[in-house]
Amino acid sequence: MRAVAALLAVVLCLAACDGAEPVRAGGAATLPGPVPSGLAARPAPPGTPGAPVFTGTLTDGTALAAADLWAGRPVVLLFFSSWCTTCAERQDALSELARAYRDRVVFVGVVTGDEPADLDAYLRAHKAEFPVVVDADGTVSRAYAVREPGAVAVVAKGGALLRGWPGGLDASTLDTRIRELLLA
Amino acid sequence: MARSLAGFAATVLLAVAASGCESSSQTTVRVLVRDINIREEGVDCAGTGAYTFFHNRAPFRVLDGEGATVADGRLPPGKAVRTFEEDLEVDRIPTYCEFAVPVSVPSRAGYQLVVDDQPAIPLTSDQGFLVAVVPS
Repeated sequence: MRAVAALLAVVLCLAACDGAEPVRAGGAATLPGPVPSGLAARPAPPGTPGAPVFTGTLTDGTALAAADLWAGRPVVLLFFSSWCTTCAERQDALSELARAYRDRVVFVGVVTGDEPADLDAYLRAHKAEFPVVVDADGTVSRAYAVREPGAVAVVAKGGALLRGWPGGLDASTLDTRIRELLLA
Repeated sequence: MARSLAGFAATVLLAVAASGCESSSQTTVRVLVRDINIREEGVDCAGTGAYTFFHNRAPFRVLDGEGATVADGRLPPGKAVRTFEEDLEVDRIPTYCEFAVPVSVPSRAGYQLVVDDQPAIPLTSDQGFLVAVVPS
């Protein structure tokens, strides 16, 4: 009986005291895998301006360089906040779209004016499984002329800024735009 | 026993009277963020530019003229309001962002609004509302 109690105590301690940090939604675990072979990305029209280059940190502190992502494949930037009601209404479908394009077109969230716990709860509630840059001082948002969440910008493979939508887009419309603008 | 009951009743009456000395009235705080941003009319909005701290769930306090907090809470989402009547034949038009939040406040000579611990802005009584225009 005493041995059982001791074993139970060890198990409980291991469960409660392993010291592991909880995995942050939007962190390193959500970074894309290798670019799929044979990815047919549509070339940007000549003269298209380059997207503002930025570096940032993800929700778990992992460094991210946007140019590294769009060097190999198109990128969709989603500007949102956990308190943005319109963003929340669209997020489930946008998260599903991001999963559907995973590795072919990388979705990156850019979040301003948020609290870490609120953001984490939002990402989990809406099953957002893409990297999320914490844009604490709004530098990235200003670089893309985003005045309030939500907003969307699409960047071609190679870094050309193709389109931006202040006010954001629903998933169905964004899917159509991705096929028109980004994929051959 | 009767004497102690009477004493208890008197204490309760005094407490009720004391709490009722300062009556509060219901009103609505209207915050008009005059950012003239391009939006669809009626959509949820937040302040833009220098006013991004005006947004859904942002903490606010209503202060009286002495700086004492008389009400607090969190802002609801703002609503985009058109800035002029002309039909531009486009969905997205110049708007400001209005937050309307009901509060109960005691009667005071003046009120101020603090959002997210930013500097206080004056509230003006207007047709039964307490109105703050940002920037004022």
